[in-house]
Amino acid sequence: MNLSVWTEVAPHAPVLLRGLLINIQLLLGLISLGLVVGVVTALIEVYAPRPVGIAAGAYTWFFRGVPEIVLLFLFYFGLSQFGVPVSAFFAAVLALGLRSSAYQAQIFRGAFQSIPHGQMMAARALGLGRLRAIVHVVLPQALRLSLAGWSNEFSSVLKDTTLAWGIGVVEIMRQASYIRARNFTLTLPIYVTVALMFLVLTYVGNLAIGLAERKLRVPGLEGQR
Amino acid sequence: MKVVGVAFLMAVLLAGCLAMGQPKYIVLSDIAWAPFEWVSEKGAYLGFDLDVMRAIAILEGFEIELRDTPFDSIIPAIIAGRGDIGASGFTITEERALVINFSEAYWDSNQAVVVRAGSGLDLDMVALPGRLVGAQRGTTGSFWIEDEWVPLGVTLVEYETYPEAILDLLAGRIDGIVQDVDPSKMAVLQYKGQIEIAGVVDTGEQFGFLVAKGDPKELLPRIHRGVAALKDLGVWDLLIEAYFGPSLGAIESAWEKCIDILLVDRDPLRYAQCLTAELRP
Repeated sequence: MNLSVWTEVAPHAPVLLRGLLINIQLLLGLISLGLVVGVVTALIEVYAPRPVGIAAGAYTWFFRGVPEIVLLFLFYFGLSQFGVPVSAFFAAVLALGLRSSAYQAQIFRGAFQSIPHGQMMAARALGLGRLRAIVHVVLPQALRLSLAGWSNEFSSVLKDTTLAWGIGVVEIMRQASYIRARNFTLTLPIYVTVALMFLVLTYVGNLAIGLAERKLRVPGLEGQR
Repeated sequence: MKVVGVAFLMAVLLAGCLAMGQPKYIVLSDIAWAPFEWVSEKGAYLGFDLDVMRAIAILEGFEIELRDTPFDSIIPAIIAGRGDIGASGFTITEERALVINFSEAYWDSNQAVVVRAGSGLDLDMVALPGRLVGAQRGTTGSFWIEDEWVPLGVTLVEYETYPEAILDLLAGRIDGIVQDVDPSKMAVLQYKGQIEIAGVVDTGEQFGFLVAKGDPKELLPRIHRGVAALKDLGVWDLLIEAYFGPSLGAIESAWEKCIDILLVDRDPLRYAQCLTAELRP
């Protein structure tokens, strides 16, 4: 790859960035869906009566056990068989988001369980109900503790959004294939460019999460540096 | 005067209703396979298949929505009711015909075997035991290698896309690639002096448009009438002249200049004439 190749790639950067914007939209959709469903699933797994807990366990087992690309196909082609014609974008958010919720549930479950049981007993002794004790005492600490593990999930699902082109979402990989289809010689440089864009994005994202972690830290809760 | 005015208004309303009442069908295409379908520098969908579909829709009075779909997903999508017509250079095969219906063939395409320039390989030498030959997954090229060359001892290497196969060919990881003649010619043009066509395999293969099994929306008769009309009008040959030969960049700028004649004026013949006129030296 010589220098002149990069001057050929440069005009295509805006198109790739437009694709990347779709990846970011997918990310925001799927990670917020995963966050909400993940926290609820983790709460159920830890605190709900056994049968419900088992159901939540089965849910995470399914979404952690099926390959992502299969989930994408199941949601995109499968839902329309039942008369629910979801768009490719929405199917991708749903499939990747629910999958992420299963992983996030494990992160949150670990965090819930790491809060000493004595705190719960103390809260109950002070007259808080079980639910209020969870919401006001356990949850705020557990969510903070989850951030480190959660940044891992963030980096992972950010890159997973590139799988969405398999069901026809025109994101960055699809844009790259358009460019490639009319400039065969740019195949490698285009993918190097895509890789660089993702490197920057994961760096910025993890930086933000790291800042949040430091800002939100509860003094005395975890091992102090 | 008033009567005329009212009549005019009624006519306009009626025309509006007719246009509104036109059925809309979803056309699926893997829009990364020039010159049959690709995305221009400015993001427009163009190519032979797509313009043919647009022209047929105009002649037969329906609307289409082009939806870009990866090749392997088009047939599943049509089976699942996520699209109505597949227009993506589909080779007519018995296996595919089991699950969807094909239109009459609209294109003859044989397979070209591309090798590194100066490798000195001809067709017989590519088909020797121990050779590695690449093809795009799910295409006729890969089926053909599987059926004809693998029994001779050739190993088939499959790729998600054609450009990836070319990269591996250039890197020396495979000895040749089997792909349709027209995309192969384009690749040779783009990689001038690096790859060449060793020969053309006469597979007798033909392309067809495809619709759901049993053609529940009765689209095939309309497609057939449309293709016949395009041929009668001379549009068909003009589109072939425009799309097969000139460089992609030249086609894109001609297309941009002319496409409104097709989409706004809805005149396929004048559009095809404009396109070829722009492209003639």
